[in-house]
Amino acid sequence: MNYGIVIKVMGNLLVLESLMMTPSLLISIFSREDDYIAFIVSIAITALVGFFISRPKVKNTKIKVKEGLAIVAYGWIFSSFFAALPFVISGSIPSFLDALFETISGFTTTGATIINDIEVLPRGILFWRSLTHWMGGMGILVFTVAIIPTLGVGGFQVFKAESPGPISDKIAPRIKNTAKILYKTYIAITLLEIMFLIFGGMSLYEASIHTFGTVGTGGFSTRNSSIGAFDSTYIHIVISVFMILSGVNFSLYFALYRRKWKDLLKNEELRFYLGVVASATILIGLNLYLNTDNTLGISFRDSLFQSSSILTTTGYGTANFDKWPTFSKSILFILMFIGGCAGSTGGAIKNIRILLLLKMIKREIAKIFHPRAVVPIKLGKKVVAEETILSITSFFILYITLFVGGTIIVSTQGIDLESSASAVAATLGNVGPGFGFVGPTQNYSEFNNFIKLFLSLLMILGRLELFTIIALVAPKSWKNEI
Amino acid sequence: MKVIIIGAGKLGYKLAESMINSEVDVTLVDSNPEVINRANEHLDLLTVCANGLEIEILKDLEIETYDLLIAATSSDETNTIICSLAKKLGCKRTISRIRNPEYTEQLDFIKREMGIDHIINPDLATADEILKLALKDYNFYSGDFAKGKVQMIDICVNNMNKIIGKKLMEIDSLKGLLIAAISRDGKIKIPDGSTKLEIDDIIYFIGKRESIEKLVKKYKLNSGSINIKNVMILGGGKIGYYLANKLSEFNIKSTVVEQNNERCVYLMNNLKKGLVIHGDGTDLNLLEEENLSEMDAFIAVTGFDEQNILMSLLAKQSGIKKVITKISRPNYTNLIEKLDIDIALNPVNITVSDILRYIRGGKVVSVSLLLGDQAEVTEVIVDEDLPIVGKAISDLGLSKGIIIGALVHNGDVIIPNGNTIINKYDRLIIYSLVENVQGLDMFFKKNKEDRISELWNSNKSNGEFAST
Repeated sequence: MNYGIVIKVMGNLLVLESLMMTPSLLISIFSREDDYIAFIVSIAITALVGFFISRPKVKNTKIKVKEGLAIVAYGWIFSSFFAALPFVISGSIPSFLDALFETISGFTTTGATIINDIEVLPRGILFWRSLTHWMGGMGILVFTVAIIPTLGVGGFQVFKAESPGPISDKIAPRIKNTAKILYKTYIAITLLEIMFLIFGGMSLYEASIHTFGTVGTGGFSTRNSSIGAFDSTYIHIVISVFMILSGVNFSLYFALYRRKWKDLLKNEELRFYLGVVASATILIGLNLYLNTDNTLGISFRDSLFQSSSILTTTGYGTANFDKWPTFSKSILFILMFIGGCAGSTGGAIKNIRILLLLKMIKREIAKIFHPRAVVPIKLGKKVVAEETILSITSFFILYITLFVGGTIIVSTQGIDLESSASAVAATLGNVGPGFGFVGPTQNYSEFNNFIKLFLSLLMILGRLELFTIIALVAPKSWKNEI
Repeated sequence: MKVIIIGAGKLGYKLAESMINSEVDVTLVDSNPEVINRANEHLDLLTVCANGLEIEILKDLEIETYDLLIAATSSDETNTIICSLAKKLGCKRTISRIRNPEYTEQLDFIKREMGIDHIINPDLATADEILKLALKDYNFYSGDFAKGKVQMIDICVNNMNKIIGKKLMEIDSLKGLLIAAISRDGKIKIPDGSTKLEIDDIIYFIGKRESIEKLVKKYKLNSGSINIKNVMILGGGKIGYYLANKLSEFNIKSTVVEQNNERCVYLMNNLKKGLVIHGDGTDLNLLEEENLSEMDAFIAVTGFDEQNILMSLLAKQSGIKKVITKISRPNYTNLIEKLDIDIALNPVNITVSDILRYIRGGKVVSVSLLLGDQAEVTEVIVDEDLPIVGKAISDLGLSKGIIIGALVHNGDVIIPNGNTIINKYDRLIIYSLVENVQGLDMFFKKNKEDRISELWNSNKSNGEFAST
């Protein structure tokens, strides 16, 4: 492994991170809160460390698959460490472990929090907390790739390891330009949502924070009762729509930009995803209307919001869905596993994998009747390579294994089944809130340190799609086995 | 500039690799997913796994936004159709690879009717290059620049005992010559005055033709003026065929050894002169029966690199003065330098060099890739409106990987130093490491957008493209 280049990229990443902290610093100075010292210290530490480890000249700048994995895995862990500094230094979250949980939850766009009363925290700190969502959503390293001039093809290895979904496609010949196009799209959507929210009566500050939470599909808010604090159907609908938009593969927006409507309409994953949103909304809406005393309108508004929030793994809440009928809760639980589309900011298994798994089942059934039939699995018009199918299967198995194993581990600490299962599903899928103990009105602060650390690990595993991290910590004998 | 390459074989892949270094956005199309995966892992380009013949694919890629399409699939017919389709769909320029000798007769017609702007024929270009080298009277890879006024040769330093272990600035016997590059342990370096020469280094000299000739004489590097009369060509493929025909024009007798019976019949019917032997080229008895040891030159151009290398070594052992080998895989090149083979050529490099010259545009006269693929030699005429005109070389801010090897001013060859001033219409011969190629832009680029149109215009006027 070429550690030189890994460390160098890491240095660049940290310098970038320190730059990203400056808006929060400005906000604290502007609002005359005393946490600005925390930001100055954190920026200084992060920038200095980053500067010094990115200084040495690296002879071999080749980034192969291994280096790509290492850069992404270590990059996420290190940047979380440094991002936790402002919380600890300002005293907003005194325990370092808690602060780490919070930043990992931020970067992985989970949105699970250990803070009991958000509203008392200083504005700069809250802004930083939500900005981590925005950075983590599209990928902190994709951002680095867009900015560092000469990663060359190595950038693709990094991009592949960080961007979600089984198949990573470039949309421009150079990886740098691909990253830039993605970020431009991302920024455009962000600005659009901020405008819509301001139009709905939010302040610029709150509109930005909730936008970061939405487009990053994170879920951090400035209010204890999340979006429920804003009693405006307009805001609920705007946020629902933008959550759904953020769960779509971002390269499709590029197709849209190039006026390729057909690509968009024919995209099977998009259709499947929108189908899931629609059916979940209708089922939950009817279930709520029939079993609670909500009006039809309110039932559907809440159902649309909650389905899209959980499916895209955002985790915002407008209602306490923990109190909803069991049928609705079961559907939400299933949505936690499906997640967004490949190449979106959403987490969990991703629609494309679920879609292909369903097609695989269909094929197996066809084979019972025609044992010798050659049935390729197609996505759109293209045949999906058997290798891809296999890797999706093993991803799914690993995901479920982690979920089951995780649930057992959490339950050893005396937590009931519903809470432990949903806590694991919500962190592994980067959703945020679950049911029971970690329901929408609760948070993760009551867990002991062991569980917090374990769930932090699950969040990173989930965000980086399992194999990136597992490949690095796997025993040597596995790595060498071919 | 946007370029699309159809076919990711040896040529397509190498082209893509070289273009990426010089700020070109490349899209590579191939129908084999394995090749595409490999390109994806190693090169920073857009890959499409599809058949380039499908109009839908070309439309989808927005072919009209591309400046250049290069069709480099294995089939001449496919290449022709792809170029024709792309042209009709609005691609600005097209280059097609056409190798079949039958078509070479009707290239003009094909070009005109099918909308192909240029045709490349790697085999013919290689045959030309081999011919040039075979006719020279020394045994090194060499190149001519500035219409033969400037020459470049590569020599193993072991031939020149006196200078081993010396620093370049201590060597005073090099009047009118410059050591422009050194290949050591398979890596090419651009040296400076403090670089020390070590045993087994391969050095690239550049200088006036007369100075090079003197050097060759002084160190007895020439193999005695051989008058080449008899040549054995191993392999009767396309290169062998073109070569035998070309040699016959110079009244040189060629013996072509070919294994495939049908091919032998074809060669017999189509070669103007020359002897065709049907047999296994690795059979030493057979070669000896055909007077191997009395040949003046041995040229191995079969489709197998390993066979070419081994048989060349064998030929060298039998005392043949001049041995030229074709090698298609770049992986072996580092090894070749250590072996006793006089000249090794890579057809892919020759073709890529040609295309690169056109991509660079401006007044670039030639580009040649040195064998190890790590360095390029570019010959360029300085245009009057370039910002570098009137500046001293030391003021150009050249990076360490670039050196101006020679400068031709008003017909005089000058080995430049830092104080040499660049005038308009000077010819420059520039060495650059592949990773520094972007730094060459200052020698031919005024304005990015103009390049492609200028490239084709300048091309029409000097019309020396590698096709016939």
